[in-house]
Amino acid sequence: MSELIAQLVGVGLHYKDGPEVFRGATFDIEKGSFQFLTGPSGAGKSSLLKILYLGLKPTWGTIHLFGENPSRMHPSNLPLIRQKVGVVFQEFKLLDHLTVIDNVSLPLRVQGVDRKTSHQHAQEMLEWVGLGNYLNVYPTTLSGGQKQRVAIARAVITRPQLLLADEPTGNVDDEMAMKLLRLFEELNGAGTAVVIATHNPRLLTQYPRPHLEIKDGTLTKSASPQ
Amino acid sequence: MNDLPLKNDIAARFLPLIVGLMVYLGTLCLVFTLFITQTTRSWEMQFTSHLTVEIPTSPTLASGPLQAQVLTLLKQTPGIRQASAVPPKDLEKLLASLLETKTPIDATMLPILIDISLEEKKNLDTPALTKKLQSISPHIQLIDDREWQHQVSGLIDMIVLLASLLTVLILGTTLVTTTFATRTSLLIHRQIIEVLHLIGATNTYIGQQFQKHALRQGLIASTIGSGVACFTFGSVVFLLKKAGFSAAFDTVFFSEALCIFALAPFITSVAMMIAARLTVMRALAS
Repeated sequence: MSELIAQLVGVGLHYKDGPEVFRGATFDIEKGSFQFLTGPSGAGKSSLLKILYLGLKPTWGTIHLFGENPSRMHPSNLPLIRQKVGVVFQEFKLLDHLTVIDNVSLPLRVQGVDRKTSHQHAQEMLEWVGLGNYLNVYPTTLSGGQKQRVAIARAVITRPQLLLADEPTGNVDDEMAMKLLRLFEELNGAGTAVVIATHNPRLLTQYPRPHLEIKDGTLTKSASPQ
Repeated sequence: MNDLPLKNDIAARFLPLIVGLMVYLGTLCLVFTLFITQTTRSWEMQFTSHLTVEIPTSPTLASGPLQAQVLTLLKQTPGIRQASAVPPKDLEKLLASLLETKTPIDATMLPILIDISLEEKKNLDTPALTKKLQSISPHIQLIDDREWQHQVSGLIDMIVLLASLLTVLILGTTLVTTTFATRTSLLIHRQIIEVLHLIGATNTYIGQQFQKHALRQGLIASTIGSGVACFTFGSVVFLLKKAGFSAAFDTVFFSEALCIFALAPFITSVAMMIAARLTVMRALAS
């Protein structure tokens, strides 16, 4: 039996003054798995990812991450869980006052790695995503695709056990989208479980993988398309 | 390096200025308190260890034999270290310095003053001594300045207390200002803090960012404030010495004052650092 990274049972979300987003979401994320999370815009893909990276508490259901129930954990221990999860945010969330290399090395620094070592790793990561010449520039000077790659480098620098990417190909052309997916696949090959949220159906046909679909507030699982 | 752009924070723009001013006022207030305390202490030492016996002079009184009787009594009284008559020439000089005009002084009309030095650790029974002295002659008076000295030192203690309270108030104001500036910074940078949290930063890590910044800011501002206060103090001392008040400043006072100027930046910046850290930790925990 594969090792479980995340386990969601009957998870639902209802914003306080808004409509119900989804309900009864039950699925597992296994170690080394690769899956897409699909659904139309506004279906709740980002919200579900937010629950997975502990940015949001579910209204119903239980969630286990790395065998722990975060709702029963002391808040001071949550960072330990978050350090095992890499996130590529839809809006990148890069820190504009820091250079690209400082942005990428940030997750290592918060884990106590010294500046020199974290910069060495960050440089390797930026070379891996093809931005080796952009170490000391500020994010505001980069294009959408470049920011996306910086965000990916930052998400994977700690070699997370789970990588959550929210519309990582939303701001780039098809060629760049395939390049980014190859980066994710490389990472997945190294043992990281990858969940990519996308509303782009073409991505699924070009890159067939199992996927979870949220539609009308319900989550359904589909096997890899043949 | 700081992960939060606290350097360019609008909220904390005036914090160094306020801290510098507070340290300036606080250190001067402390040095003033120190000066008052030291002066009072040396003044108290003089009064608590000395008494005076006054033997009035008149044609009907044979003051010479009285003086001998009084001195004998005083030398036999426990608690008295030494008793000696003030030489008439010294009395004349003292009186001449108090009189504005050069009035001729008749030394024979001056009372005989006997200066008594008390032993440090023994209590003298002054009512009993007064009785004994008055049994020699009812005109003899024992002058004990310690009574009104107690009242004056009580007043000085009050001034010292007020000055100390003012110093505490100044430090408190600095800390409250730091707390408000930190709270505002937390609000301004909440999105960055959210990102830091999401990539696994602990509250302690975020708190460290703020505390380092507060320490640096406090150290620079309070060093400037303390430096200017030291300069002000030096100027005041120079002016007072020029005006003839040099006796008030001894080396002990100077070294203690310099200690205050040197330590104030460290104490202030560490207090600011702790205030910033506690504010962040409390805000993030809620």
